[in-house]
Amino acid sequence: MNLAINTKNISKSYPGVLANSNVSVQIKKSSIHAIVGENGAGKSTLMKILYGMTKPDQGEIEVFDQPANMSSPKEAINLGIGMVHQHFMLAKNLTVLENIILGIDKPSIKNLGLKKYKKLIEEVMSTYSLDIDLDMFVEDLSVGEKQRVEIIKVLFRGAKILILDEPTAVLVPQEVNELFKNLNNLKQNGVTIIFISHKLDEVLEIADDISVMRTGELIDSVKNENVSKTELAEMMIGKSLPTPPPRSTETKQNKILDIKSITSESVDGRKFFTDVSFSVFESEILGIAGVEGNGQKEVVESIIGIQNIESGEIFFNGENINNKTTRQRLESGISFIPEDRQLQAMIMDMNLTNNVIIGRQNIEKYKSNLATVKIKNAIKESENVISLFDVKTPNTNTLATALSGGNQQKFVVGRELEDNPSLLIASQPTRGIDIGAQSLIWEKLRQSRDNGLAVLLISADLEELIGLSDRIIVFYQGSTVKELSSDDVSPEDLGGYMTGLKK
Amino acid sequence: MTQNIFRSIFRRYIVITPILLVLIVAQMEEYSQLTTSGTFGAAIRLAIPIMLAGLGGLYSEKTGVVNIGLEGMMIMGTWFGAWGGFTFGAWQGVFIGMLGGALFGLIHAIATVSFQVDHIVSGVAINILAAGVARFLNVIAFEDIAFASSTASPRITGDIGKLTVPYLAGGNINGEETSNFFGYIEDLNIFLVSDFAGLVLGFLSNISHLTIFALAIVPLSVLVLWNTPIGLQMRSVGEYPTGSESLGVNVYLMKYIGVTISGALSGLAGAYLVIAGTGIYLEGQTGGRGFIGLASMLFGNYKPFGILMGSGLFGFADALQLRSPKAVHGLLVIIAIFLFVLALKTLFEKKYIPSLISLVLSSGFLIWFLNSESIPNQFVYFTPHITTLIVLSFSNQRIKLPEKIGVPYKKGELS
Repeated sequence: MNLAINTKNISKSYPGVLANSNVSVQIKKSSIHAIVGENGAGKSTLMKILYGMTKPDQGEIEVFDQPANMSSPKEAINLGIGMVHQHFMLAKNLTVLENIILGIDKPSIKNLGLKKYKKLIEEVMSTYSLDIDLDMFVEDLSVGEKQRVEIIKVLFRGAKILILDEPTAVLVPQEVNELFKNLNNLKQNGVTIIFISHKLDEVLEIADDISVMRTGELIDSVKNENVSKTELAEMMIGKSLPTPPPRSTETKQNKILDIKSITSESVDGRKFFTDVSFSVFESEILGIAGVEGNGQKEVVESIIGIQNIESGEIFFNGENINNKTTRQRLESGISFIPEDRQLQAMIMDMNLTNNVIIGRQNIEKYKSNLATVKIKNAIKESENVISLFDVKTPNTNTLATALSGGNQQKFVVGRELEDNPSLLIASQPTRGIDIGAQSLIWEKLRQSRDNGLAVLLISADLEELIGLSDRIIVFYQGSTVKELSSDDVSPEDLGGYMTGLKK
Repeated sequence: MTQNIFRSIFRRYIVITPILLVLIVAQMEEYSQLTTSGTFGAAIRLAIPIMLAGLGGLYSEKTGVVNIGLEGMMIMGTWFGAWGGFTFGAWQGVFIGMLGGALFGLIHAIATVSFQVDHIVSGVAINILAAGVARFLNVIAFEDIAFASSTASPRITGDIGKLTVPYLAGGNINGEETSNFFGYIEDLNIFLVSDFAGLVLGFLSNISHLTIFALAIVPLSVLVLWNTPIGLQMRSVGEYPTGSESLGVNVYLMKYIGVTISGALSGLAGAYLVIAGTGIYLEGQTGGRGFIGLASMLFGNYKPFGILMGSGLFGFADALQLRSPKAVHGLLVIIAIFLFVLALKTLFEKKYIPSLISLVLSSGFLIWFLNSESIPNQFVYFTPHITTLIVLSFSNQRIKLPEKIGVPYKKGELS
């Protein structure tokens, strides 16, 4: 067979995670091969291995039927493999031409030969029907054009295999069409393209072959013609059904959070979400499902006031909070568990006591008569959190960075629940932590819910979402497409709505 | 076409307006010192060290390393320049001064690039260290030598040589004096023409060989940084080191080269002060010129010829206060008119508050000018600094900083 890349039983593990387990994939020459999977399914690790950025623990790679043992991107480039990263590797204040030829010549004192290179690059551009003004500064290019520069850069170095990492994530629809047109051109000119994505529509539109990954394993490789979107979604999300324990309390009738048709867009005009409405009731967990990047993160941010909304209203306990600052919102009884605990939830170089006060320094019990913080109360509070949530730490003076991920997360959840908030927004509350910490956090969330807390739960873990939530709403392309009761929903159904298959 | 020319003139009003104003004001008898060849000649001598420090800053910052240690590297240049000049001769002194600066550049590179020390912290340390080291070395090296003290070196030996262009500026050929074409025109006192002749004469007569050497570095820097592979790689690591690394650029090496060249040029700036100026090393001789060099780099928007302009401006103001305190008074009306033009410009751009502020300041300077005969001496000394400050504060809006300047880079870390 005519293979561009053939991998045999590739495995790679990081401390605590098996990122790739026995992955064998065959990629045909001059084809577009898509690799799909949820976040954390192991796509990126596989790509890094193919591009020589990391070495696999075991397994073999063949490139154009030759065994390849790459240990750096440079070797991958020499073998004809090029990568277009999701975040462009371009220098803004240099011209397109300079960006493309950077690093080709050794660092020497001689004429750069801009004219010669310009001619050569223009030849490559006309071969593959790609078009860009070489004298523009990269700063002045649109996102789609920057991506084209990256593609030209890789082709100019003689790449015959192109790896595109989530290429459509940053593009607007017109730019996606342009990109697909270009990719088809490349394919006709003999270039092999590996297309990483989790957007099934796009994959089905562009790819010849599709490989699905889940939890580090390659589930299957199929031909585009032989597969439906439903089947792909099922393969991507899996079928394991959770067993939620029955709840003994009832959801109350009063609305804690009431969102009325809010809309928001980014500075460059891309819509984050459009006309979103939903409510969270007292003593209820409302789950939000959606493939990452469909607007759910921005909705949450607009509830706590980090993201601006263009139109619509947000009511909290019956009061319009549109014009309140983030601090006022948090003080009025909204708690927030951000999705990235190390970046947003804690300051890693501070001790636990200080981390308990962060953002709450204005709460009555931390205020002293002078303009200082009552550190005694803070110590008491953090001791309280540590014992209630079983945080494993020597004392309250320990730096946050010294704790394991699970203990950090338990501490964050404990802190957010401590002042009896009326609404808790939990964004990926158990991502990347061990099973023990996970079940403890689940248990605490259920307990608080039974005591009357309204919870807005955002999670990529469908098992967690179905197991915890009372109701689930599904986000797709910035809108709520479906509301479901968690009693009668299967992960396949949910996957269908999340990928836009079912309506 | 004409529209384009007009637009580009308008865009450069920051530079062009003051020049025009200087020319006009210089026509008045009492301010005629503003544009004589003597003033320009002095301006060049005073501008060169600043220009060299500015170019030094350019090489370092283009590779992403903030270098506020320019001053310290310049101090090393002055001492090593004087020591080399005393021990071996003038040109050897220049070379040794450059080496001394480069050594401290290398220290800055080791700290910031290899050990990821904060660039400002390292720069401050360099400045403090250099002052101490210079004194220490001076005491050791010139212990029993006549005319030397703990804060001053003996006079350098040898001479760097000066050039006066024959025929155009009256230089000698075979010991005979030739005609002085530009001098003749300057003495005619024709509006604009004579002023221009004064400027040219400043460049052509009685100019040190070291000045020519220094001026040659300006176009050379354009060539190296913008037209060679190594220059492209150096600029790229200041913009996006992660991307450069992925294309096989040795990021650390490029930063080392940039910062070391930066030190060498600052060292040359210091050596210039000694060898083309005083002839001896004096403690505190640099007088903050390294920092003004940084300002000229910002003024020049990270371009060698821009740096030349910026340092020229400072040198001009400096020369003026030294040679003709009376002419400084004329600067007041120049500032007033300049601010008035700025007020109009901001008004057209509908920025009302800046416009109002400019207008008020403009009237203030005008009233001051009309109600005074001269400027108090204390202010005269301050002229170069305040001029630089004013121009810098009005021109720095479009500065294109290297993207990742001041950000420590660790190999293999994606960002």
